[in-house]
Amino acid sequence: MSVDIASNADLETAAGNTVYVYEAPVRLWHWINALSIVVLAVTGYLIASPLPSVGGEASDNFLMGYIRFTHFTAAYVFAIGFLVRLYWAVVGNHHARQLFLLPLNDAKWWAGIWHELRWYFFFEKLTQKYVGHNPLAHLCMYLAITVGGLFMIVTGFALYGEGAQEGHWSHALFTSWVIPLFGQSQSVHSWHHLAAWGIVIFIMIHIYAALRWEFMSRQTVISSMISGTRTFRE
Amino acid sequence: MASETFYEVMRRQGITRRSFMKFCSLTAASLGLAPAFASKIANAMETKPRTPVIWLHGLECTCCSESFIRSAHPLAKDVVLSMLSLDYDDTLMAAAGHQAEAALEEIKKKYKGNYILAVEGNPPLNEDGMYCIQGGRPFVEVLKETAADAKAIISWGACASWGCVQAAKPNPTRATPVHKVITDKPIIKVPGCPPIAEVMTGVITYMLTFDRLPELDRQGRPKMFYGQRIHDKCYRRPHFDAGQFVESWDDDGARKGFCLYKMGCKGPTTYNACSTMRWNGGVSFPIQSGHGCIGCSEEGFWDKGGFYNRVTNINQFGIEANADKVGGTLAGVAGAAVVAHAAVSALSRARSGKTEQGEK
Amino acid sequence: MAAYETQGFKMDNSGKRVVVDPVCRIEGHMRVEVNLNDKNVITNAVSTGTMWRGLEVILKGRDPRDAWAFTERICGVCTGTHALTSVRAVESALNIQIPENANTIRNIMQLNLYVHDHLVHFYHLHALDWVDVVSALSADPKKTSELAQSISDWPLSSPGYFRDVQNRLKKFVESGQLGPFMNGYWGNPAYKLPPEANLMAVTHYLEALDFQKEIVKIHTIFGGKNPHPNWLVGGVPCAININDTGAGGAINMERLNQVKSIIDRSREFIEKVYLPDLLAIATFYKGWGFGGGLSGKNMLSYGDIPQRANDYTAANLLFPRGAIINGDLSKIHEVDLNDPEQIQEFVTHSWYKYPDETKGLHPFDGITEPNFELGPKTKGTKTRIEELDESAKYSWIKAPRWRGNAMEVGPLSRMVLGYLQPKQFPFIKETIDGVLHKLDLPVTALFSTLGRTAARGIETLYCAKLQTEQFDKLIANLKAGDSATANVEKWDPASWPKEARGAGFTEAPRGALGHWIKIKDTKIDNYQCVVPTTWNGGPRDPKGQIGAFEASLMDTPLAVPDQPLEILRTLHSFDPCLACSTH
Ligand code: HEM
Ligand code: HEM
Ligand code: NFV
Ligand code: SF4
Ligand code: SF4
Ligand code: F3S
Ligand SMILES: [Mg+2]
Repeated sequence: MSVDIASNADLETAAGNTVYVYEAPVRLWHWINALSIVVLAVTGYLIASPLPSVGGEASDNFLMGYIRFTHFTAAYVFAIGFLVRLYWAVVGNHHARQLFLLPLNDAKWWAGIWHELRWYFFFEKLTQKYVGHNPLAHLCMYLAITVGGLFMIVTGFALYGEGAQEGHWSHALFTSWVIPLFGQSQSVHSWHHLAAWGIVIFIMIHIYAALRWEFMSRQTVISSMISGTRTFRE
Repeated sequence: MASETFYEVMRRQGITRRSFMKFCSLTAASLGLAPAFASKIANAMETKPRTPVIWLHGLECTCCSESFIRSAHPLAKDVVLSMLSLDYDDTLMAAAGHQAEAALEEIKKKYKGNYILAVEGNPPLNEDGMYCIQGGRPFVEVLKETAADAKAIISWGACASWGCVQAAKPNPTRATPVHKVITDKPIIKVPGCPPIAEVMTGVITYMLTFDRLPELDRQGRPKMFYGQRIHDKCYRRPHFDAGQFVESWDDDGARKGFCLYKMGCKGPTTYNACSTMRWNGGVSFPIQSGHGCIGCSEEGFWDKGGFYNRVTNINQFGIEANADKVGGTLAGVAGAAVVAHAAVSALSRARSGKTEQGEK
Repeated sequence: MAAYETQGFKMDNSGKRVVVDPVCRIEGHMRVEVNLNDKNVITNAVSTGTMWRGLEVILKGRDPRDAWAFTERICGVCTGTHALTSVRAVESALNIQIPENANTIRNIMQLNLYVHDHLVHFYHLHALDWVDVVSALSADPKKTSELAQSISDWPLSSPGYFRDVQNRLKKFVESGQLGPFMNGYWGNPAYKLPPEANLMAVTHYLEALDFQKEIVKIHTIFGGKNPHPNWLVGGVPCAININDTGAGGAINMERLNQVKSIIDRSREFIEKVYLPDLLAIATFYKGWGFGGGLSGKNMLSYGDIPQRANDYTAANLLFPRGAIINGDLSKIHEVDLNDPEQIQEFVTHSWYKYPDETKGLHPFDGITEPNFELGPKTKGTKTRIEELDESAKYSWIKAPRWRGNAMEVGPLSRMVLGYLQPKQFPFIKETIDGVLHKLDLPVTALFSTLGRTAARGIETLYCAKLQTEQFDKLIANLKAGDSATANVEKWDPASWPKEARGAGFTEAPRGALGHWIKIKDTKIDNYQCVVPTTWNGGPRDPKGQIGAFEASLMDTPLAVPDQPLEILRTLHSFDPCLACSTH
């Protein structure tokens, strides 16, 4: 499947042009997804390194329980969102597909990555114009969200299924093969935890890049993820 | 027929003929056989000699044998004298040297295809196997030969099941778990360092009683004892959920029996029956006596980082690195890079802004 | 190798060679080869450790606080003793002071191990060297009962009781499936017990098997499980709570009562079953005085069971420390694990590599690098060894020496060193004198296979007594209001010096045990263990001096040359542990 990158878009990207890129479900998903990941990262961290002990009777407290509950709730939001987004990739516009596919044998795409890298290292004065994601962002999003998110879902539900026990769908679907694949549960925890850091790093760079593009590129960026439209400047 | 049969053993243990027959029909039913088979099963059990067991030792510490003899129900004595026939076990047998080797040969021949092979420890493969020698030969050869005619194999303990301590990095002898050497036989893994005594006797008596292998999970462990984590049934779990932890040894939380998670407890990732069956006749288990679980029934538990760390190591990054170290460091680097990049961007923009106004 | 003399033994390997491999009823894998002269007397003995796992290699680079768990897995039979030695080594390196209660609990656990290990050894690993199971079938249960009642007031001693056991045994034997008794040396003329004594011993074999599982519950209470209880650098992991809410999660009054009950029952079993059996058996074997080996010549003990916490000087130890050399029982030498001149390991005849193999290395500088190679006179091939060549490398055990001397370690050494210092160890002296008196034997009779076996029994009684005392001490300390069990000041590796080293020691059931650790940048830089069975079972050194196993076999006649009963008897008197010896 061909994915629109910079390509033919010359017409569309002419200064003053406004294109509808991110349909409402994509935008909605983006912000729900962003929120769920923040919740997951914070609660995940607290699962691994819990807060100082609380006092009183055990039966009067459920702090760790709530933290874990929040993690699992956000995890369901994240995972269902992921599935819905996948569905929208099929039925939505062609930009909606971009997140899930890399045009690996498109030389122009590679050239775009090269160009954006040079831009970040101040060798280029101007970014190129893109209707969809710029190729570098595209690559990072794919790695962090498509691959990383899937990894978190698979490992996360494998861990979840351990507690939910045999008979639960998560156990059948994930725990049953993921734990043996990694050798044991502890390794799955470690990798789930490491990948969480990977996603955190993506978010840091992603937000910075979004801001930077907003101010320094010749196209709208943040506002596009709000309104759905992208307007090009000269 | 002078040999004490299964039926006689059960009778001696106070089981009536009626319940024996009931047991046989249940067995028939659970095997999916017609009721008529019940009497066949009963007949077999009334006349069948005790199942011979050959117990081999590779690289190990013999704690699995030690654990086995601690069994309270059934008593080790009854297992050995009445339930099975422990025909070869170099730790316990009277004979040695040639006489011991002759016993092994005889049993292999006489009960070809009908004996259970129990393996404690594992074979080293480096140095042509000569890190473990038996009768002047590499242990791995004895293991293979004995496995060839066995009905089934039990891998006792973490050594036989996963490799255990001698297989910990850098595994100088290339100690190798049994299932990686014997690939054509049913193998039941009974991991633990050591396994709980009653789990060991439970597994073996299950096989004798029902004449079949226990139901195994994907990793070859009997589900009945290894289907749940320590954490799932830990009596300190309410403290975990409450967020009440031992923060340091012998602190107030330790004296109150708080959760040992922050002291590195591996209960959340360890499949074993300790928190339900407990040890040595139900007296205690590691957590009840104040130390976290070290995960002794899990594959490679020696190499996951310190026993007192909650966030454990990822070996691909070397022995030192855990997820927070790798991830936190990278996140720090990324954060600093973003700030620096932003500063440089702002600077260069301010500078070029004057000359190339309007161009963005 | 031509005939030569060493340590008072005439070594001659020209006669018929007898190989025993596997040596059974021991821990781990062992082989022994002897030469017999035309009178079937042993003229040369070769003891070989036939396994190696590489724990010292595996420990490198790890967290010193974890080392106890690794070293504990050196052996599941003397379970816990390596762990204790390890935490002591780390505490010595980092200068960590442990609380009084931690010391007492460790002592109780260590003594508890002795009681269990010695009992199991006597009945389940050693007894069949003295007891003919098949002969028990022809015993008269009534006479057995009389015999049992004449030596002990243990209640399980009626004729009916012994008849039941005999019937069960008969049924077992008649089944034709002899299990572990298959191919035993039944009927060998070296068995001397009358059928009644055999039946009594077999009965107690089974009783001891039932009872031993109770003994270890003390480990379970303090360490969470047995085998392989848990330990902690800086103290013990089990907190004590005898007053407050939540005591159910700690050592509380119920737990202490259980410990006390086990201590009492164990002591009763030792006094009423183990020791009477030992004496009864010894009476029939008094005449068989072989197997002395190095005992009476070179004996070593590090001492153990510190009365007060953190004081490891000889005066504070309830087990004796010291060395005897050249048979001079009047001089007890001081032993220092840190002195590079005292303890050294050689590998000339071991399957390891040193830069210079004519020299020994002190464990702080110890090297463990495997190097399997067979001598030119080996018969067979690398993977089909028929006869070893003892002039070359022939064992996975290193050869430790104390000031150049091969030493015997273990219960006999400890009991003799205690006997020689009656002021500090009156109980040992009295008990030994009592036993010798009963058997009508001189002190020198101790220096034999039987003496070694008797010393183990006497020691078990001593341990049972010390266990009671240590328990009382724990209670007294709790009464005084001290319930601390761990010192966490140096728990965080950030508080450690850049480099540190220390030695930890115990007396393990089989003898003197030392661990030496070097810590660098919070990680283990070098870890060396010199283990009791390394001392006893080690091969020759560059001077051709033989180890304790080899020495003990020398000059022993075999009743039936192709039945190694006497060889087993003497080797078993050491309670060999091969997993320990090579680690
Ligand atoms: C971006 C997504 C996610 C992030 C950043 C994240 C982060 C984390 C972190 C840091 C941990 C602690 C790991 C440890 O060291 O033990 C954790 C644990 C866990 N996560 Fe996630 N997670 C994510 C997604 C998910 C998903 C989709 C699930 C699915 C249910 C999930 C289920 C779990 C479970 C079950 C645990 C273990 C909880 C426990 O042991 O009590 N996670 N997560
Ligand atoms: C946890 C936080 C976040 C995550 C995981 C995340 C993830 C993503 C993903 C996966 C996409 C691709 C959308 C698609 O193709 O469907 C995307 C696009 C985008 N995100 Fe985020 N995002 C996060 C936070 C933010 C924030 C805080 C902002 C604004 C400051 C932002 C601005 C954008 C923009 C502008 C785009 C569109 C980029 C383009 O035009 O090519 N994101 N984000
Ligand atoms: N030799 C030895 Fe051990 C002991 N006792 C330990 O140090 O047996 Ni396994
Ligand atoms: S599994 Fe553990 S306890 Fe069993 S033999 Fe191996 S090291 Fe010993
Ligand atoms: S002590 Fe361990 S197993 Fe028990 S609840 Fe806490 S973490 Fe889980
Ligand atoms: S350390 Fe092992 S004994 Fe049980 S509690 Fe953990 S699995
Ligand atoms: Mg060593």
